[in-house]
Amino acid sequence: MQTPQGHQHPLTSMISEINAIFAEIGFVFAEGPEAETEHYNFNMLNVPKDHPSRDMQDTFWFKDKDVSEPMVLRTQTSPVQVRYMEKHEPPIKIIIPGKVFRNESTDATHEAQFYQLEGLCIDKGIHLGHLKGTLEYFFSKFFSGKTEVRFRPSFFPFVEPGVEIDMKLLESDSKLAGKWIEVMGAGMVHPNVLKGCNIDPAIYSGFAFGIGIDRLGVMKYGIEDVRDSYTGDLRFVNQF
Amino acid sequence: MKVIHSWLKDYLGESLPDVNKVEELLTFHAFEVDGIEEVAGESVIDVDVLPNRSSDCLSMRGIARELATITDTALARDPLAELVSLSPTDKVSIQIADSAACPRFTASVITGVTIKESPEWLQKRLRAMGQRPINNIVDATNYVMYSLGQPMHAYDADLFPQMNGQWQIGIRFAVVGETVSLLAEGGKTEDRIIELTGTELLIVEGSTDSPVGLAGVKGGRFAELHSGTKNIIIEAAHFDPQVIRKTARRLGILTDASKRFENEPSRELPPYAQRDIIKLITEIAGGECVGLVDEYLVKQKENITNVSRINVNRLLGLNLSLAEVKKIILRTGAEVIEEDSDSITVRSPWERSDLVIEEDYIEEVGRIYGLHNIVSVMPEAQSLAEINVKQYYTERIRRVLLEQGFSEVMTSSFQKKGTIQLQNALASDKSYVRESLRKNITAVLDANFIHTDLLGIPDIRVFEIGTVFIKTETSVSEYIAISLGVRTKGNGYSPKDDVIIKNGCTAVEKILGAEVVWQTEKGVAEGNLDVVLKTLPVPDAYDALPALSQVSYKAFSLYPAIARDIALWVDDGVVAEVVAETLVAAAGPLLVRHTLFDTFTKDARTSYAFRLIFQSTERTLTDIEINPIMETVYQAVTAKGWEGR
Repeated sequence: MQTPQGHQHPLTSMISEINAIFAEIGFVFAEGPEAETEHYNFNMLNVPKDHPSRDMQDTFWFKDKDVSEPMVLRTQTSPVQVRYMEKHEPPIKIIIPGKVFRNESTDATHEAQFYQLEGLCIDKGIHLGHLKGTLEYFFSKFFSGKTEVRFRPSFFPFVEPGVEIDMKLLESDSKLAGKWIEVMGAGMVHPNVLKGCNIDPAIYSGFAFGIGIDRLGVMKYGIEDVRDSYTGDLRFVNQF
Repeated sequence: MKVIHSWLKDYLGESLPDVNKVEELLTFHAFEVDGIEEVAGESVIDVDVLPNRSSDCLSMRGIARELATITDTALARDPLAELVSLSPTDKVSIQIADSAACPRFTASVITGVTIKESPEWLQKRLRAMGQRPINNIVDATNYVMYSLGQPMHAYDADLFPQMNGQWQIGIRFAVVGETVSLLAEGGKTEDRIIELTGTELLIVEGSTDSPVGLAGVKGGRFAELHSGTKNIIIEAAHFDPQVIRKTARRLGILTDASKRFENEPSRELPPYAQRDIIKLITEIAGGECVGLVDEYLVKQKENITNVSRINVNRLLGLNLSLAEVKKIILRTGAEVIEEDSDSITVRSPWERSDLVIEEDYIEEVGRIYGLHNIVSVMPEAQSLAEINVKQYYTERIRRVLLEQGFSEVMTSSFQKKGTIQLQNALASDKSYVRESLRKNITAVLDANFIHTDLLGIPDIRVFEIGTVFIKTETSVSEYIAISLGVRTKGNGYSPKDDVIIKNGCTAVEKILGAEVVWQTEKGVAEGNLDVVLKTLPVPDAYDALPALSQVSYKAFSLYPAIARDIALWVDDGVVAEVVAETLVAAAGPLLVRHTLFDTFTKDARTSYAFRLIFQSTERTLTDIEINPIMETVYQAVTAKGWEGR
């Protein structure tokens, strides 16, 4: 028997595809550590200690004896936004695909480890209309069919205004087509976050969004159990 | 927050929209609605109040106010707009030890009440909220809390000692080692004795300085109401939200009260709640209010904010006039105290602690005006300022490894043993983070080998590129590792594995144009990719992506597969596809894969050997089920004039 071609994991092929889609409109692929400081994972993102907004993300902490300042397995890829803003001047356009961790019980739609895609765009005059257009562009390419996006009010500590994003695939044979699906959170970067990175919110504004890549896989390929991605089971991988 | 539709009517009157309209308005202008159900004859709307609005909207009045804002109507009745005038009393003395932890504490005294069941209308509303009615006084405290968002507590005044003719209530931090006894929790019969660490805020009985409850979290048995209670003291206070939150989290006691206090309802609220509860209690339990004591030590800060038309439009992408912006902001109940040609200065409604900075108001304008009015601006093509080195080179590595038959896996970042342990692991076998990929890859090889037939592959070849963690002297660090694993034999490692591994490793190094330091052992190679990536030239552009194939994933069966081989002679010219078609048709739906694994021609005849894989999605297959199927297959072969070998 001849050795056939191997199969690429759907998460990395989606990341490559996402990168290619965003590269066309100038978004740079940024990255940062998975073991992150409390400072970057929370404080710099306007999520203070002992604040109810911390409840939104259950966190894995490293032991005090191992670290010189409090560290976590990052709960979001947003700390990379901060790290990047600290080192770059606007205009800034980045995507951050990467692994994140939440201390939550797992089921077919939740894993304690998963991949997130965040995007950040900062320049003069960036507003919610740019966010909407960028996401419509992305979803239309990623799901190979014209896609509409709508906003609903929401709250995330690092954005203001914050919005929940629903998408609707229009002309498509996909099962998803024709209905509104809640897909992600987004908003305009909170002025405290910008100031913390020495960006003047009176001059610059920006949008940020975050979506689970595993969830994109559920929508794109019909993956039924997101936990299958992390078992190394080739009965899963070899279907891709 | 459960919201009872008919309760909203108390505030909105006839302008209250029907339940479905309420759901729609909240969804697109304020909060997500998790569902609507009928409970105890009431329509109950489950509203997911956002964290920034949990200070004012964990209340019926708050939700009603929100609906009035969204629909641009006035509340028919607004309890927070009616000024409070309650006569003071010197019957209660309040000593606050720390004004930051407790900026305000109010207590009212009502004499001559009769404890009994609440009237039916009140019981019905509490039941719809999922509460069990207890007695008229306790029910009243809950009722007013749900109405206005202010938690309250009632004591039996005759069981509360007096000193100098006054009831003495103290608020202070706990002392280390002190204990407090809390009321039994749901389902339990025994009270809970809590040992205190010094960070908890306590309500104490002043004459003895003994704890009677955990401030803002839970009360104790002290001065508990009973069927003969005649005189009562009612507490409504404001506590530091972080203090309450810390205590509630540490002890795992999340109550309706602690949930509200940790979201900081307004400091202005307690007298309004006192007024409403006094009115309610005197109506349903009789008695007379003696008066109110109000220790208000640290006043709430006024929030005054400048909102510019330009900034509103700059963030929302709208083109609103200042008059329009002003009109929308006024709908929230905020007050415009100054105005110039392009901006307004606004004082927030006192119950809205979330309206502090200009962006908070910009959000208000956006959602009240309607986020659907925001028009998409399509992005333009633009060149990339930077190429991600890791992404560029790992894409290349993947491509060459796939060509060599390696499939890509991703494995857990958690493991059972190691040196870097988490404080709060999900499970005992996931309490450490991985420091290498090797163990996981070995486990993947072990687990997958039995599936080779099912997958139609001769051996198992996998790789992973992922983060592993290392402990440094002062911290936890990480790097990107790459690992390749091969298994050619079912019983474990064989030296043949290393040859395939070596080829894979060589291909990786060739495509990178750099050496990787591999640790190869028992069919698994691992190297540090980060150190290599740092030495590589930065590329100008990503490689074009290979064309993506259409994938439609199917959940795989967890039942084992059974393999059967069949070899047969056919006349020259009969191609394998034709033979396969016959086999597939005869084998039926349990056949999930067929692989041609041998072909040779002799004396104008060709021999084909196929492996047939059977699997069910419902059960484990046995010979008893497969043997007759194979009979059918052989019969089909014979019928074609082919000869089984």
